[in-house]
Amino acid sequence: MIGFLRLAVFGFVGLTVIYFLLSIYSRSVAREELEKEWDADHPEGGDEAARRAYIEAGMREYESGLRKKLILLVYVIPVIVVLALIYLTNIY
Amino acid sequence: MRYVKWTFWTILALIVFAFLHYNLPQHDIVRVVNTYQERQDLGDWTRMFWSSPDDQSGGLVNRDVQFIQTVKANGKPMVYRNEDTGWNWPPYFKFDTASLLTEAEDAKSTAADPKWVVVTHYGWRNEFISIFPNAVGIRPAEGPDERIIPWVNIVILTTLALILFMIRRMWLQFRERVIDPVLQDAGEAIDRVDDTADAAAEKARGIWGRFKAWLDTWKGKPRR
Repeated sequence: MIGFLRLAVFGFVGLTVIYFLLSIYSRSVAREELEKEWDADHPEGGDEAARRAYIEAGMREYESGLRKKLILLVYVIPVIVVLALIYLTNIY
Repeated sequence: MRYVKWTFWTILALIVFAFLHYNLPQHDIVRVVNTYQERQDLGDWTRMFWSSPDDQSGGLVNRDVQFIQTVKANGKPMVYRNEDTGWNWPPYFKFDTASLLTEAEDAKSTAADPKWVVVTHYGWRNEFISIFPNAVGIRPAEGPDERIIPWVNIVILTTLALILFMIRRMWLQFRERVIDPVLQDAGEAIDRVDDTADAAAEKARGIWGRFKAWLDTWKGKPRR
């Protein structure tokens, strides 16, 4: 039982670290995409304030979008894998 | 310096390979001969090659372990231990040791009338330090020459490669977005320092000059 708790606690901590790292990465990629989109539409550079507003609007869209929610799979997939392993090793 | 680097990477690669080779599942086609249970002393460094099936087993100096004696298709003997891994490493989540022993008992056969089985296991057999691979599964084989495709290993190694690729992508993104902008700001300051360094390098021309410059690098820097 202690073994299970240890796995659950350390697993949760480890997955949380991975979740945050992936969140930062994904946000960074999303912002870079927006910057590149703006730069492609405005080869001259455009208005700096408008550029910032465009990127912030895009980031708000990202924050409520599906891509951000998909990172929660970091918690789901390992649990499914562990359950599958328990089934395959002991019951199958 | 090059030898140090290569030695480091070779040792690292060997450790990674050994780790994967020990922990990933492997399949043997064998004939079960017998099973037995024996008291094992677990007080020395080879403890890491045995499991901790339950919470108190970590503190025990000795305990009974089940074994499965088999003969491979090529006639060589192979003995597996049969222990729970529980919730511990490696993550096989094996709790069905008693059932596995029953299945092994059921699969016993003689050389005259062999019944071939596939034993899934992890770990190493070494006679000199008395360590045994841990059997995690047993199923009837099609025959002594059955070709087994290691799907689990393919999936695990592919996943590991993807994770490494992802870590690299994340690092590159971090460097591009966070470190490089900072370095660019510092770049001008570094350029000024560079000019001074170039002037110093001019003085240390020639082999003898370079040697003396190298010797100078061993001198302590004046304290500020």
